[in-house]
Amino acid sequence: MSTIALLGQPNSGKSTVFNQLTGARQHVGNWPGKTVEKKDGSFSYNGTKYNLVDLPGSYALSGNSDEEIITEDFIKSGKADLVCILVDASQLERSMYMVSEFASMGKPAILILNMMDVAEKQNKTIDADLLSSRLGIPVLPFTAAEGKEYGKLKELIVKELSAPHTLSSAPYLASGNGAKDKVSADQLKAESETKFQWVSEILDGVTKTKDEKYSLSKFDRIAIRPVLGKVVTIGIILLAFMVAMIICIPFMSIGSMIPQYTSGPIADALTGWNVHPWLVSIFSLMLPNVVYFSLSMAAFVLGVNLVFGFLEEVGFLARAAYQFDGVLSKIGLQGKAVAPLLMGFGCTIGGSCGTRVMDNWGQKMLAMAAVWAIPCASIWAIVPVISGMFFPAWGTLLICIGILLYIFVMIFLVSKIFGKKLAPIENRTGMIMELPPYHKAHWKHIWKESFFKSSDIFFRALRTVTLISLLFWALSYSGSGKVEDSILYKAGTAIEPVTKFFGMGWRTFMAFLSSAFAKEAVLGVLNSVFVGDNSLLNATFNAKTSGADAGTLSTVMSNAVSSAEALAFMFAVTFNIPCVMALSTTYRESHSLKWTARVAIFYFGSALLLSCIVYHVADLFM
Amino acid sequence: MRLSDVSVDQMATIRTLGSDTHFLSRITSIGLTEGTRIQVVRNDKKMPLLIYARETLLALNRKDCERIEVEVKV
Repeated sequence: MSTIALLGQPNSGKSTVFNQLTGARQHVGNWPGKTVEKKDGSFSYNGTKYNLVDLPGSYALSGNSDEEIITEDFIKSGKADLVCILVDASQLERSMYMVSEFASMGKPAILILNMMDVAEKQNKTIDADLLSSRLGIPVLPFTAAEGKEYGKLKELIVKELSAPHTLSSAPYLASGNGAKDKVSADQLKAESETKFQWVSEILDGVTKTKDEKYSLSKFDRIAIRPVLGKVVTIGIILLAFMVAMIICIPFMSIGSMIPQYTSGPIADALTGWNVHPWLVSIFSLMLPNVVYFSLSMAAFVLGVNLVFGFLEEVGFLARAAYQFDGVLSKIGLQGKAVAPLLMGFGCTIGGSCGTRVMDNWGQKMLAMAAVWAIPCASIWAIVPVISGMFFPAWGTLLICIGILLYIFVMIFLVSKIFGKKLAPIENRTGMIMELPPYHKAHWKHIWKESFFKSSDIFFRALRTVTLISLLFWALSYSGSGKVEDSILYKAGTAIEPVTKFFGMGWRTFMAFLSSAFAKEAVLGVLNSVFVGDNSLLNATFNAKTSGADAGTLSTVMSNAVSSAEALAFMFAVTFNIPCVMALSTTYRESHSLKWTARVAIFYFGSALLLSCIVYHVADLFM
Repeated sequence: MRLSDVSVDQMATIRTLGSDTHFLSRITSIGLTEGTRIQVVRNDKKMPLLIYARETLLALNRKDCERIEVEVKV
């Protein structure tokens, strides 16, 4: 099978072309031994299948980063039968630099002039035929977001595979290609001069680079101001989050009806057929909830992808990155991480899948690890309820402030522990970024990609959530329906001396464990273990529908639990693994079980440690 | 004159980019070389500079701008 590689700078529209060509036939993983995302897939044309590899986005091929090394090695290895080079037609001179670096490699290629729609809007004309004759390879004017243009592209690719062309011109470099390790600064300068000289000779008469003054758009004049710009940016991201929520709420409410309306009938039917109660509880309680969870996840992913796809495509996210780069670079993150982090206050799943805007895998993983530290909306709903049982209103306020402050500690810890590996210090350079011109969003394309991503997550989530739910089900199942007969209870009470050291008795510890499953489950589980009128299983899976009786719970719990334990418990729950869906989203987005597990273990461990410290310190005063 | 000291809307030509090879590669690949004509679009305290060069709006962090020497055309 022929292999085609896509080469292009960030913002050249490379991933759009990749997604449009491959559709659902793609596989995302990591390059062997590297923390760089590898995307490959396939497409068919006239009954023949072709392989497509998306090379990591980088501005050059100079071996300055893992991305550049991988890309360069892949092209030199000759694994690609054809390289499609994407350049931004609206910034042709600058993006042709990549071509100047590729030219001397002597590999078959075609040039795609992407963003022709933007170039046309800026009244830029490009003589594609002249460019093609100068380079010796075919040149295709293109708009990647327009679905109807792909027929032409596929046709050209197939034609070139049978009769390939290589670049007929290349900049003459004194050092040749290859030995780049020991190039001096002066040599580097001379070579880049030569390359840009070559570019301007190639482009002479092809297009005219206008030397006119740039003036900021009306919106940019606000968005780019130091203080007002930040306020506007946060406002827009929060607004975007609300829109995402509005999109996903209908799906979620339909989803929540699944367990509500199917649990009872399924249980009755199965019991009627004399099915073992074990299976009854799996099919009537667990599975409907798994479908509901997965559907909620998919709905979130849809909503977030729609709004983020829009904000990214119009060029807003680059402005947000510019605003917040200063703060975030201190913890090793790019400015772009500001959007997913803010979204984390609403929902960790939303924040995690929002990290798709990050430039590279390491940044993405680090941003997800940081998003986990942001307490989601559910936390802000649970903490006041629990706190209210033990503390006066001002105490609750203090606790919320304490949680807010601890977010910074947690993100600092994440950056210290994971930052070195995910965003190596030597790669942390100051911001050098292009702010793409604002352009109109191609909604059809955004919808298509969001739907694809969302349905993909749904089916994958079904698997992960089922597996974890099954584990939790096995632990909390009790034949008699009483808490005392579950493995979780037996194990919990057995290790209580240990959990006591961490500040939690077996009951609060059990609720702590369930908080890693779903934050909404916490109140239900507390109710079940303290009041005991409901089975643990029901409490966990039916958390939203069963509705804990806060009054009774409050009386019982405040008698059984000390204030210090309650305080420790609230902190432990807040900074625990967010939920099974966040865990699963992180795994799906990172494709790395190893890193997801590392982050999960870190959160679980640090939550216990935090609980331990809070308990023992609070115990001195309370 | 340092790039970081150029005021808004002034045009300038890059004189020297320093001698850090890693930085040179990065800045070159995004389109800035010695001799490139640029326009400073925004220059706010503590923020990255916004400059316009080769038809592209670029954000450049302040520290790097302090290392770039430019010549301002009057």
